[in-house]
Amino acid sequence: MSANQILVFSEKASLLRELLGKARQEADALGWQVAAVVFEGDPAAASLGSAGADLVYPVPPAAGESPERLLNALAEVARQAQPAFILMGATKVGMEAAASLAERLDAAYAPWTVRFQIDPTTCAATAQCMLFASSGMATYQFTPGLVVLTSAPGVFPKPAEVEKTARVVSLPLAQPQGRLEVLGSREKVRGATSLEDARFVVDVGQGVKQREDLALVESVASLLGGQLGCSRPVSSDRDWFPEWLGLSGKKVKPDLCLCVGVSGAVQHLVGIRDSQRIAAVNNDEGAPIFNQADYGVVADLYEFLPAFSERIRARGLRPTWTA
Amino acid sequence: MKILALIKISLDVAEIKVDPATAQLRLEGVPEKVGNIDKNTIEAAVRLKEAAGGTLTAVCLGPASAKDSFKDVLAMGADDVTLIEDPFGGKGEPGAVVRILEAAVRKLGPFDLLMAGFASDDGYTYQVAPRLAERLGLPLVSYARQLSLEGGKLKADRDLDDAIQTVQVDLPAVVSVAEEAFPPRRTTLMDAIKAKKKPVNLWTAADPLGLSAEELAKNSRLASSSQIGIVVHRKGQVFKGQSAAVLADKLVDALVEDKILKGGA
Ligand SMILES: Cc1cc2nc3c(=O)[nH]c(=O)nc-3n(C[C@H](O)[C@H](O)[C@H](O)COP(=O)(O)OP(=O)(O)OC[C@H]3O[C@@H](n4cnc5c(N)ncnc54)[C@H](O)[C@@H]3O)c2cc1C
Repeated sequence: MSANQILVFSEKASLLRELLGKARQEADALGWQVAAVVFEGDPAAASLGSAGADLVYPVPPAAGESPERLLNALAEVARQAQPAFILMGATKVGMEAAASLAERLDAAYAPWTVRFQIDPTTCAATAQCMLFASSGMATYQFTPGLVVLTSAPGVFPKPAEVEKTARVVSLPLAQPQGRLEVLGSREKVRGATSLEDARFVVDVGQGVKQREDLALVESVASLLGGQLGCSRPVSSDRDWFPEWLGLSGKKVKPDLCLCVGVSGAVQHLVGIRDSQRIAAVNNDEGAPIFNQADYGVVADLYEFLPAFSERIRARGLRPTWTA
Repeated sequence: MKILALIKISLDVAEIKVDPATAQLRLEGVPEKVGNIDKNTIEAAVRLKEAAGGTLTAVCLGPASAKDSFKDVLAMGADDVTLIEDPFGGKGEPGAVVRILEAAVRKLGPFDLLMAGFASDDGYTYQVAPRLAERLGLPLVSYARQLSLEGGKLKADRDLDDAIQTVQVDLPAVVSVAEEAFPPRRTTLMDAIKAKKKPVNLWTAADPLGLSAEELAKNSRLASSSQIGIVVHRKGQVFKGQSAAVLADKLVDALVEDKILKGGA
């Protein structure tokens, strides 16, 4: 079929559209095609043309359940469609599928891509990828040949809708049972609110000592119409919140992130560094968070937070994001 | 039951500094140790060994100087360690690293379970377990949080982004362990004393695996690669040494200036 094709997959609908938008841009510059892999019966499939897909390849819904069946389906699609380039979502499902797929197809592989270019004459790809838990960035120049990349949600913007209908191409796909037997699945407990959209986040670290002390943090958050996030140990060791911010957690981009009792480990910072402003309260002047913040306050959070609320009230201030 | 567990000597990424002027990553002097994720892997493996009986061998591709870095791993319950001296000095491409690990695992003989962290602490690229499973032709149970053996099968809870999925698989299989899923146990002095008698076997890629860095590098698809550090641009204003009320006013002033707070007199 087409060696001039970018094949795109993510099981996450919003991420798939972001990847398609980026793939479309590249494909337009090269005169290539963009194809998406979707699960049969997915109602969103029909509208993927509007995000830039020329073609969609449906795969059996069972591929959405079992990683092994997903890999088999993706590999089979790739074998038949012969894409020059594969772009996948850097979710847990996607990271596993992409690494296995690259190995199976003997393709070059680079995860956590934030930018890539394909040379129009040589068709060789270059990719910039996050490195060392996002403290660095690598640039890889690949030799010509199949390349598989993954990109995280939010790396590429949501594409503007275009008027376009993707053609559905049903490839004959074998459906081997696979060795992994799926016994069941349950949804995870989620935070009630969507942190990703918050304009103000109070980021709780291990410097907040007791669960009861969350009331103090909560009062600052509610005064300024914000939401609480936390560092990994506050979630995974203490179990105060179902999810955390950081490398392996949520990524937020509020107008203001106020870190209280957070040391500022890079794995945590990854989750908050897209904030417009970062302010931090920490009683250790040497805490790394101070190198990463716009405003650092060296103080005991238990003294500072009540004073902060008091001063805002006394001065009759309110945040710009409330009407 | 024979269990192999892959562990990595990882850089403490939180200690990597970036030169703000040149954006160079300063990797020299950054502490290295068996990763946090890898200790979770050992814990998961030891629990399965305790439940089913058998042996646990930890397998590490790393510097020969790491020979003394496995005290905790052995005290936790690994029976021995196979340390393969990394012919790439930590800079090998994942494709080549996986080939060395594959050869080592095959050399160690038939096993029931091959376990690894879902990612390494430093590289954090999630690729060793999936690639190795693929090369070995074995099923992969990824992101495992709960693990149990029932009727010769492995049952696991997979910790996915939005759901916990329960799966079951026949052995042999590859398992990758989810983040923070198996907090490593505290070890006793007795454990540490026993650990001293346990062997750390040093291999090289050439002997007994018959691999060379030059041959492995031939599979590379990289024409070139380079790396830089990420430099953050923040104001870096620090307020200190005054009463909480004064410090609060200073932060409030700054936020007013930034037009984050408004109104008031
Ligand atoms: C592979 C890997 C992945 C990771 N992923 C993540 C991730 O996604 N997210 C994440 O958050 N972490 C992650 N971590 C962990 C990370 O490295 C840090 O250990 C963690 O973020 C530290 O959390 P903390 O800042 O809350 O706690 P600590 O590091 O313990 O810091 C607490 C801070 O509170 C301050 N403090 C104490 N008392 C007070 C007081 N009264 N007033 C003011 N300040 C006070 C202290 O000075 C200290 O700086 C990961 C680690 C690894 C190895």
